[in-house]
Amino acid sequence: MRAPNSLKQEFLKKWISGLQMCSTCSKNMSILERKKAIKLSADVAMASARNGRTCWSRALIANASKNDKDKLLVEHILGNSEFQRLNKISTMRPTMTNKRVRCKKILKRSCGTIRRVSKRVVPQKILASCVAKRLSTKRTQVLKSLVPGGEFMDDASLIEETLDYIMSLQTQIDVMRSLANATELVLSRKNEQW
Amino acid sequence: MEPDAGTGPRSITIQPSLDQNALDSLQFNEEIQHLMTVPPENANSFTALLELPAPQAMELLHHSPESNASAAPPFQFSGGANLTFPSNTALIERAARFSVFAAAADNNNNNSPETTGSVPSNSSGNLGKVKSEPAESDSNQDNPNSSQPNQNQKSMKRKEREKKAKAATKKSKSSAIDSNEDAEKLPYVHISGTALVLDEIINHVQSLQRQVEFLSMRLAAVNPRIDVNLDSILAAESGSLMDSNYSSMVMPLMWPELQISGNRQQYEQQWHLDAHHQPAWGREENQNFVTPENSLLSYDSSANSASLHSNHLKMEL
Repeated sequence: MRAPNSLKQEFLKKWISGLQMCSTCSKNMSILERKKAIKLSADVAMASARNGRTCWSRALIANASKNDKDKLLVEHILGNSEFQRLNKISTMRPTMTNKRVRCKKILKRSCGTIRRVSKRVVPQKILASCVAKRLSTKRTQVLKSLVPGGEFMDDASLIEETLDYIMSLQTQIDVMRSLANATELVLSRKNEQW
Repeated sequence: MEPDAGTGPRSITIQPSLDQNALDSLQFNEEIQHLMTVPPENANSFTALLELPAPQAMELLHHSPESNASAAPPFQFSGGANLTFPSNTALIERAARFSVFAAAADNNNNNSPETTGSVPSNSSGNLGKVKSEPAESDSNQDNPNSSQPNQNQKSMKRKEREKKAKAATKKSKSSAIDSNEDAEKLPYVHISGTALVLDEIINHVQSLQRQVEFLSMRLAAVNPRIDVNLDSILAAESGSLMDSNYSSMVMPLMWPELQISGNRQQYEQQWHLDAHHQPAWGREENQNFVTPENSLLSYDSSANSASLHSNHLKMEL
């Protein structure tokens, strides 16, 4: 794994280039548009700083490049060859998910038959574990909706990806906050001078 | 340490130091006993899992990689396999040898809140059970259960059969009922623990995502144009840095100098117009984005921290 500082550097570099791209694209934006652009570029920069090695970064890039207007930005941040490569990977994904769904169906069917039998024997035990299981599956669903590309992960890799995602979010926040603070500082100094 | 302190000042009286040694060994025994309580508990919970009816055990096994992984605190997650058995094999072997400790540990275990249903009176029945446990947990450590669920499952089934045979011969009815009650409660505890950990992860991710939103909004509010300030920051803050490798990183991205100065004046005026709106923005942001979680994360805005952060930025670059 890479040292966090170099990750920060790479993220900042990509982010700045993305921001420059944004500002040259559209001169006058409302504050909301600006915020959206900043956030998008930060997200994509973070994902590309992770080098497309993790599922969530690939999914994030794939999601961002769905929109035509944002596609340019993504392409710019990633660089052309990288973009092609990642797109290829992301188009490969659907076949995999199909397989997984089928597997789940088979498993469910087989589990279902067993469960029906045992329900007659000890209903209470099953009830307790069912409630407990529902609790955790619900939360897993929520987590899957939070992590980009989480719908395509199984439970074990979901947690792995989530931890990686948390780490890079923290990096992103660090860089963004220090940039925001520095910007505010410069502005306040300028104000004093005026 | 302590024996030295005892023999140094009063080397004539040997008896007290001997006593101290005995005390030490006693304390050591206690420590060992403390250590002992950990592995049998795990083993016990595991056997409770084993004594489930087959479909339920299978359900749990099907869940096991996830539950194992998230049973740990979220940031120390590494392999996920070894987490449920933190102690080494030597300890467990010793536990098997000193069956007194094992029995004591088992009694402790019965009093623990997770397995409230049982009574310490049936320790004779449990002794045999505990003796057989270390072997099991040993074999479990050999093949980590999340990576090879199939094999594990087989061995579990085999052990389950063995367990049942033993139970038929050894256990009285009451202890069997106890173990059943344990088995009933354990999966619930196990999985609801998973749910709690998942809850925390979800909260954390959400708060981080909200922070990103908030920070991007803050940047958007501060900068009338997205990138103009980057170069002015660099010019103001890091004139000395411009010579190093850093310049090669940023220089291609920079605007031509003339354009900067032109832009800057233009945008200063623009900014003064914006300045009237800014307090309103600030307030709205606070209402929208600063949740209790965010406020925990030290949203510092004092002057010295700002200068500190500019230094920080320099360091990063």
